[in-house]
Parts: sequence; C-alpha cells; structure tokens
Amino acid sequence: MRAWRALRADRMLFASAIAAVLLVGSITFGPPILSAIVGHSSDTPFPYATDPITRKPVGPLTKVWDTTTEYTDDSGYIRKPPPKGTPKTWLIAGADGTLGRDELLRLLEGGRTSLEVAVGGTIVAMAIGVLLGTIGGFLGGFIASAISRATEFVMAFPLLLLVIAIGSQSHNGVDDITLGFLPRGVFSLIMLIGLFTWFYPARIIHTQVAELRNRDFVEAAVMIGAKDVRILRTHVLPHVLPTAIVYTTLLIPVNVLLEAGITFLGVGIKLPTPSWGNLLSAVWGSVLNPQYTSTALRSQVWLTLLPSLMIFITVFTFNQLGEGLREAFDPESRQ
Amino acid sequence: MARFIAVRLITAVCLLFALSMITFLVYATIPIEPAGFLVDLQHAKPAQIAAAHRALGFDHSIYYRYWVYISHLVRGDFGVSWTSLGIGYDGQIHGLPVRGMVLDAAGVTGSVILGGAVVLILIAVPLALVSARVPRSILDRAVVAVSLIGISTHPLVIGLVLQSLFSVHWRIFQGGYCDLTGTTPPPLNTHFITQQVNPCHGPVDWASHLILPWITFALFFVALYMRVLRARLLETLNTHYIRTARAKGAGEARVLVRHALPNVIAPTIVMLAMDAGTAIGISIYIEVVYGLQGIGHLVLTALSGERGFDLPLILGVMFISATAIIALNALADVIARLIDPRITSISRAGAGGVRSGLA
Repeated sequence: MRAWRALRADRMLFASAIAAVLLVGSITFGPPILSAIVGHSSDTPFPYATDPITRKPVGPLTKVWDTTTEYTDDSGYIRKPPPKGTPKTWLIAGADGTLGRDELLRLLEGGRTSLEVAVGGTIVAMAIGVLLGTIGGFLGGFIASAISRATEFVMAFPLLLLVIAIGSQSHNGVDDITLGFLPRGVFSLIMLIGLFTWFYPARIIHTQVAELRNRDFVEAAVMIGAKDVRILRTHVLPHVLPTAIVYTTLLIPVNVLLEAGITFLGVGIKLPTPSWGNLLSAVWGSVLNPQYTSTALRSQVWLTLLPSLMIFITVFTFNQLGEGLREAFDPESRQ
Repeated sequence: MARFIAVRLITAVCLLFALSMITFLVYATIPIEPAGFLVDLQHAKPAQIAAAHRALGFDHSIYYRYWVYISHLVRGDFGVSWTSLGIGYDGQIHGLPVRGMVLDAAGVTGSVILGGAVVLILIAVPLALVSARVPRSILDRAVVAVSLIGISTHPLVIGLVLQSLFSVHWRIFQGGYCDLTGTTPPPLNTHFITQQVNPCHGPVDWASHLILPWITFALFFVALYMRVLRARLLETLNTHYIRTARAKGAGEARVLVRHALPNVIAPTIVMLAMDAGTAIGISIYIEVVYGLQGIGHLVLTALSGERGFDLPLILGVMFISATAIIALNALADVIARLIDPRITSISRAGAGGVRSGLA
C-alpha cells in the first residue's frame, strides 16, 4: 500500500510505470492485433515495397501492393504493376530491407525477442544472485567466503568477450530449446546472460542480509529459538524483497543493451527471428558512408534509427522505473 | 597491511590459475577440427590429418594438453595463432605468436579505455560539482537529464552518431587509429579486411584519432559516475569539517575543490578500477563502431575464421584480459583499504553499480 501511494505521489515513477506497461503491452499484443488489421505477418515479403532496381526499401507511411509475387514483363527483367484488383496495404514504418517486409511488425516482434532475452536473463541472474546472496549473508563463515570467492571469480571474466566466444559456438543443441513459446536461440542467450550476470545482485543481497543478520530483531528471533528457515522467511526476506525488485527492474535495461550488443556482433539471436540487435545491424554503416555501401541499402536511415529509438525508449523507461522504485522503497536515498 | 596485500595477491594468482583452467576446459569441450588450419580437409588423407593433429599437439588427452598449455603459459609463451599457421621453406610449421598479437591489440584497447577514463573524469567531476552545488535546480536537472540520455543509448548508436557527425559530415576528427609507438601489428591472415595501421604524427594526431572513441566511452559511464560523485559530494558537504571551513571564511569554490573534492576522488578511482571488466566490454562495441583493431576485434576475427575458431588466440585474449581485470580489482581493493581500513572486500558494494552487468 505504501508503495502504491508512493507511485501515485511520484509523477516520474507513475509516468515510467505507465510507459513500461504500454511498452510491454504493445510488444506482447501489438503484433497479432496489428497483423490482423493490416492482413500480413512480419515474415511476408512485399516485392513492391522495394525499388525495382536498387532494392532500396520504401520509407515509413507508404502504401504498397499487397502481393508477395513480383510481376515482370515478357523479358523477365522489368517489373510491371500487378494485375488490376490487387489490394494495397500500409507499411507504417516502411519496409525492412531488400525483402520488403513490414518494419513495424518486425520491430514489435523483435522487441518481444529482446525483452524475452532481457527478462529471462534477469530472472535467472536474480534467482542465482538472491539465493547465493541470502545463503552467504545469513550463514556467514566458511560458506560466505566460498560464495564471495565464486562471485569474484565470475566477476573476473571479461563477460562480453566470454559471452561472444561461448555464444558463437553453442548453436547445436541448446538453441533448439524453446520451452514451447520462445523463438530459437532465445533460451541459450538467456542462460548465457543469466549465468554471467548474477554476481551483482548476489553482492548487493549478501551485504544487505549480512547487515540484517546482526540487527536486534533477528537476534531476538534467534534467541527465542526460531528456525533458520522461519527467520529467513518472516524477518529477512521482507527486507530483501524491495532490493530484489529494484535490481530486477534495473537489470532489464542492462540486458536489453547486452542482447542488442551480442546479437549485433553476430552471436546472439539468428535471423529470421527478429530482435532489436539484428534489426540494428541490418543496414549498419549505411548512415556513415551512403555513397559507398551497396545501392540496395542506400541511405535508409530509418532502419538504423527505429531500432535505436526502440532500445533507447525501453532502456530509459526501465531505468527510470527502477530508480523511481528505489526512491519509493527507500525515501532516504532521494536527494 | 602487508598481510592484506599478500593475501590479496595470492588470491589473485589462484583466481587467475582457476580461470585459465576453466576457460581451457570450456573451449576444449567444443568440438573443433584444428587440422583444417594445416591441411585441406576435403582432400587430405587420414594420415595427413593425424600428422596435423600431432603437429598441433592435439593427439594427447585434454589433461596433458592443459599441462602443456599452462607450463608454456607460466613462461610467457601463449603459443601460435592457428589462423596464421603455414609451412615454411624449411618444412617446419610457423605461425604468429599469440602473445605479440594480443599485446598489440591490448595496446589499442588500453588506450581507448585509459583515455576514455580520463575524459570520463574530466566530464563527470565538473558536472557533479555543478549539480551538487545547487541540488534540484534547473541546471542540476539538465545535467541529470543529459546523462540519462547517455546511459540509455546503446554505445554502438552513440558511436555511430558521433562518427557520422564529427568524422563523416563535418570532418573535424579523423576516423581510424594511428599507432603512437610507430610499430605496426602484422595483418591477420583471415578474410577480414585489415588496414595497415599508420604511425602517428605525434601525440596530438593520436589524440585526435581517438577523441571520439574516448567520448563514446565516457558518455556511457558518465551518468553513473556523476550520480555517485554527486551523492558523495552532497554527503560530504553536510559534514562538520566543511561547515568549519565555511565558518573560517573559505569561499564556495575553495570549499568545493580543496575540501570536498579530495574525499570524493579517491573512491572514484577505486570505482574505475572495479569497472575494468565492463570497460573491456564497452570497448568492444567502440572498436566495432570505429574500426579499431583491439582485443574485441581480435576475438571476433578469431571466432569467425572460415576454418573454425582460433583456440590459442582466444585463450590468449581471455587470459590477458582476465589478468588485467583481476590485477585492477586487486589494486582497487588495496587502494580502498588504504583509504578506509574498515572496508572489507565484500562490503565494497559497488563498482559502477548495476551496470557492471553489461560487460
């Protein structure tokens, strides 16, 4: 209840909470609704959404012939318009590249992939981190120092280098695990991110639990003979929960950036599954030297701008949400 | 103190040893066919493949191979890169030593990271001073807002925007990299296009090539460091000795710079050292955007070769970057302890905050 009041009181927190809900909602429910309205899926190629010669995709807000076949004249080389009566369809954010697929649908579905990776990786990291942090902080002694060493050990790995090096080699069996609803490759990326980012929540939770362990109310509970499990559940976890929620919220944007980076470097999510990382890399560099890149991709700034913008909005929203939650749970940290 | 340093040093060496073992074993479990680097796999006879395995030391068990690897490693020998293997006129197998390749690349990455850290401090400290001076003012909010944009934009995108504006559009700074020492790393024998690194015309030329990567690096961290610096400054400004300084008639600038700042700088340096791992990760993005041939580029090249991945090169990069991270973390621990003897290793919650997850 206190959190709800804080939510209403803090405009920034309220706004970012609404933005986060809108974002997740549009990414989850957007693609099916939108493809029902426009009548095509994110994988439907529209030859007429690209230039007949250079294959340069059309820009945002264009109406193109709704057909997946390209009609040519008798020579077979020159494109002609489709037969009369072919309907037209809207490409709201333009086409995605030489194939002429719907960029908006791919952005939303790519967002779904990216958020699945980010949220999944966060959940795995938080689960390991909270578990090890709580055990280490509560029990202390030998176990605590063993866990601290393990934490330092994972921290010592150059994470991104390692993820790239392992990720590029792990496509054989792990990529096929989908748990029934995830796209290919998402699960392995989730595990990879989760297994190498748990150390941060672990350290935070460890410090906090170790502090709580010495507080009077925990001492009192120990003194009246309460069991460890009961102390953890009724006295320690309620204090740890806000921290866990805050860091879950703050790890999500980190992992969105990480997914985009890993996939951009050619290691994470593989095409044809869209993700913000591979949408970003699709025409990368054509902004820098439009006169040198292949004519097909010439100066379609949209295709770099839109995924960048989506990543920015997501990361910004979740960062603000996390910071807002931190202040709501711990008003003293506000400055 | 001497005991603390000794313990920390021993821990660091043990960590490094364990790390070398784990990375070796992880990569050893990935099925690869190293013979492809020496013979044409499609036409080679089994005997030729076996000979290639023998030449690469692949005919032994994994434990023996690890022993060979580690015993060469302690002597500073990282082996030769598989992609560069070739049979010389003398009939012997030759290749580029991994150590030289990794150290050359580490020089590029190191200059990006070190310069970036300097730029970061040059940006973050004044901004934190300004915004801590008048908290919740319009200026304070503007500074926070700009730094939030920096933290929420992907470093790749920041790099692209800066490069297209300053380097391509306005032509203020040159792209690429020039080598200050004048030695050029040998081009790698892969399908990647490798530009020759041209020597610099002095330090100014060098800095003008690297200023955009440095700014990209700094922009990513600036929000975080500014927030921490600002919080610490606000805390420090409430202490008694600051009030004493004010009471004795010290000017506002003097209070901030002479009295408050030194208390804030030292923990910041510790934080920087702790963020070494993240910094290496960010520098990979920066190397990709700006086409610099640092260790990120080296790893990507080693992984994407047509004939499989270059195991000695990857192990070398991993080992050298892990050594740097562990050494800097140990250094951070020691400095933190020197500053404040109450600090223990685990309570130093920290390092760049949650962003450490990024790399």
